[in-house]
Amino acid sequence: MAEEHVSPLHQFVIKPIVPLHVGHLDLSYTNSALFMTVTVVLVTLFIVLSTSGAGLVPTRWQSTAELVYEFVANMVRDNVGSQGRKYFPFIFSLFMFILFGNLIGMVPYTFTFTSHIVVTFAMALFIFVAVTAIAIARHGFHFFSYFAPKGVPWVMLLLLVPIEIVSYLIRPCTLAIRLFANMMAGHTMLIIFAGFVTALGILGVLPLVFNMGFILLEFLVAVLQAYVYTILTCIYLHDAIHLH
Amino acid sequence: MSEHGSPDDLKSLGERLDKARRDRMGAAPGDGKRQGALEGSALGLGFRVGLELVVAVVFGLGVGWAIDRWLGTKPWAMVVFLMLGIAAGMLSVYKAMTGMGSAIGYGGLDRPATDEDETKED
Repeated sequence: MAEEHVSPLHQFVIKPIVPLHVGHLDLSYTNSALFMTVTVVLVTLFIVLSTSGAGLVPTRWQSTAELVYEFVANMVRDNVGSQGRKYFPFIFSLFMFILFGNLIGMVPYTFTFTSHIVVTFAMALFIFVAVTAIAIARHGFHFFSYFAPKGVPWVMLLLLVPIEIVSYLIRPCTLAIRLFANMMAGHTMLIIFAGFVTALGILGVLPLVFNMGFILLEFLVAVLQAYVYTILTCIYLHDAIHLH
Repeated sequence: MSEHGSPDDLKSLGERLDKARRDRMGAAPGDGKRQGALEGSALGLGFRVGLELVVAVVFGLGVGWAIDRWLGTKPWAMVVFLMLGIAAGMLSVYKAMTGMGSAIGYGGLDRPATDEDETKED
């Protein structure tokens, strides 16, 4: 109770670990970058170690890796179609990166890099640009004619085309905000209720019980949001490949 | 009591293998033209749609504000883009609810169902 006041948002502060300034750019290696590195290393270790010495009868680790692989492969097949197979490595990497990032963030004293909109938006922007480039590459400038519905008087087009363009441009924003908001809100809630535990004395059992349940929910959200992010990427890819 | 490797086991194994092979080689479910709404609970759909509505309005407001700052046309770009944002938000809600997904355009609306669709959607 006597401890200093720590903001619930304190956990999201980016701290430089290895300061590095190039010109006006701050390229420091931060705690966020550290946990991204940890994520990439863990994903790589998980996949490489569990599939090394792959047997016909899988070990526990191997079948876990195969389960994840099959899951993402089915997701790509069901949502992108057979032409989406060549994008599978990207989708799989994306899913594993977000999933491990979210789950590592659930470990106490770690940093959840997916709770920063900079990270999620950078990924969303890359996906948006890539998907648009794929659509233009596959359909040429015919792609732009899809912003104009057929059989509409040209006066209405002045109104409809900008609306259609805006609704296309908000895609990366919704993609980024969904993941970032879910992660940030969940982690903030956990800290706030943890604060109640010490503040309420004996009644602190109640928020403690709540937090125990909430942690389980957070694990669900961590997996679910990785899934949602990936499946929306698949759907955007599907739209780019099969333009309506 | 059934012994190991009885003909029934082999037959069902063969069927499962055939099915797996078909699933892998044949047309994928995602090859169809139209993609239904994102699966999930009604609550999930509600959150998705709500987020899209809010983001569209904020996006319109932000773009309008930026253009106003850039061109000094205060407040006209903001007014126009706010309205566009609201319209775009409603459009994406409408598309999500009618199962058109997030596709560009109105292809799912004005196109009458053709034979090609029927064969693909079964």
